[in-house]
Amino acid sequence: MALDTTRGSIMQGTGGRTMWGRGTPPSRLLLPYAFILPSVAILVAFMYFPAASALYHSFFDWDGATTPRFVGLGNFSEMAGDPVMQAAFVNVLKLVVFNVVIAMTVPLGVARIILNLRSRRIQYLFRVLFVVPLVIPQVVIILIWGFLYDPSSGPLNQILQAVGLGSLQPQWLGDPNLALYALMLVGFPFVDGFGLLIYTAGLQGISGEVLQAAAVDGAGGFRRFWHVELPLVVGQMRLMMVLNMIGTIQNFVFVLLLTNGGPGNATQVPGLALYWNAFQNGRVGYACAIGTVLFLIMLGLTYINLRFLRASADYDPGTD
Amino acid sequence: MARRLRRGLGESSTYLLLIVLAVLTFLPLLLMAEVGFKDNNQFFTNFWLPSAPYHLDNFTAAWGEIAPYLWNSIIVSGGSMVGVCVLSSFAGYAFARFRFPGKEALYYVVLAVMMVPSILILVPLLVEVKTLNLLDTRWALILPYVAAGQTLAIFIMRSFFAGLPEEMFEAARLDGAGEIRALFSIALPLVKPAVSTVAIMQLLSTWNDYVWPFVAIHSEDLRTLVTGIVEFQARHFINWGPLMAGYTLAALPLVILFLFTVRYFMEGLMAGALKV
Repeated sequence: MALDTTRGSIMQGTGGRTMWGRGTPPSRLLLPYAFILPSVAILVAFMYFPAASALYHSFFDWDGATTPRFVGLGNFSEMAGDPVMQAAFVNVLKLVVFNVVIAMTVPLGVARIILNLRSRRIQYLFRVLFVVPLVIPQVVIILIWGFLYDPSSGPLNQILQAVGLGSLQPQWLGDPNLALYALMLVGFPFVDGFGLLIYTAGLQGISGEVLQAAAVDGAGGFRRFWHVELPLVVGQMRLMMVLNMIGTIQNFVFVLLLTNGGPGNATQVPGLALYWNAFQNGRVGYACAIGTVLFLIMLGLTYINLRFLRASADYDPGTD
Repeated sequence: MARRLRRGLGESSTYLLLIVLAVLTFLPLLLMAEVGFKDNNQFFTNFWLPSAPYHLDNFTAAWGEIAPYLWNSIIVSGGSMVGVCVLSSFAGYAFARFRFPGKEALYYVVLAVMMVPSILILVPLLVEVKTLNLLDTRWALILPYVAAGQTLAIFIMRSFFAGLPEEMFEAARLDGAGEIRALFSIALPLVKPAVSTVAIMQLLSTWNDYVWPFVAIHSEDLRTLVTGIVEFQARHFINWGPLMAGYTLAALPLVILFLFTVRYFMEGLMAGALKV
């Protein structure tokens, strides 16, 4: 106790050092704030402010320039009855389901079979190979697929022509019954390099003891994957699920460049409808309301996922 | 013996499957590069295979149009990269190595940005940028990119700085080094891998962005590579050879950079997983 007071007096004696700054003089107390200020300022200016503005203006009729007119929940009730938005939400739901199923299977399967290779160098080589498409701009990939789907000059219809199915040649992106599925196929065979790395890390993190125990029990090959490894990469699968849901809900570049939502509203998605309303129709308030709904959906999905994650963390798979 | 044979067979079928997947993945890109060497006549008469003469002029012509876009992308992505690295180094250092009132709250302010989706802020941000008279300038891209890249960058820098041993800083302090010197001459050199991860994540996310530069930039001479290539497509529509030559050139810069920095890219991508 006496020692403590002595120490305290020494601290005060050396010019007002406090517990806060690890014994730094008062002029430096402000230093951490000065270090953080630029980051926080730019976040507030270019993230929080526009986000708050979007939520606020979703209750207004606004063209982005003149004085906004308060309409209460008007934008939201209009959205509920808007046939364009209904088509958009149905389409994006289909896209989300498709993308999530792909993201939880294909990269995981490829990650698993790459680990079957004996040479570590070749394992790494394949991983690098599948990561390359990630550094190619998505827009270039989309434009190439526009070429692949071109009804007269595109390779897909050229193949059909060559094998004598010339009469079948579809308008891939122009047929309302086909266009959405054609958009889903962009990026085939869907070996997403990012997912591949995530799953690889997950699979490599499984302890050798667990795998040896499985081997002793005679579980090899597919049975080992299904009963031993799969339950241990559920976390990675969930991560990929959430990232893909959030990504798919927001991404409308595919649609904008390949079909512009058409034919009709066959490939309309909420992001594109937001873009149209804001930049073509000058309905900024309505666009903000669409953005707000998408934000709430993503927030809800993240929340549900966090609850799931917590539930699975409480459950200890090692005890059974 | 039988087991070994089976394993060998298993491995060769694994190879076969992986090679088929790789070929399918890269086929559209190979076709793109191959068509880039053709004129329209060659394109329509000999669709699938390369045929002489090889039109390198497609690439030289496309380069003339694409080089200015590339330059703009380098300035914008490079500028935002420097901004993110500098700001996140300071902020990450403060969060990792200082104790001060409000630290937790401020860190939450930084982390909570993860909940703000880009689609939500797209329109109001454009209105804001217009109000600030930044529309159609490079700042309209750089500033929001720096903001959007902050969170992950601070998260990564903070965890690396926090992992450095305290004794090193004590020693520096005894030698009379100030916090700013400690940051620049002790801490930063030790977390170079974190800085390159942050830089690569920022480069990748800004370089490939389409929607924001598409709405925020209207001048032809300020267009980034990705928005420029869409303009390029409109100019050369169905003139397949020159078009594909342009696509190829637009795809190449980051691929080349990737080949020289594979390790950092792979690690940077893994760090991206921390985002959620």
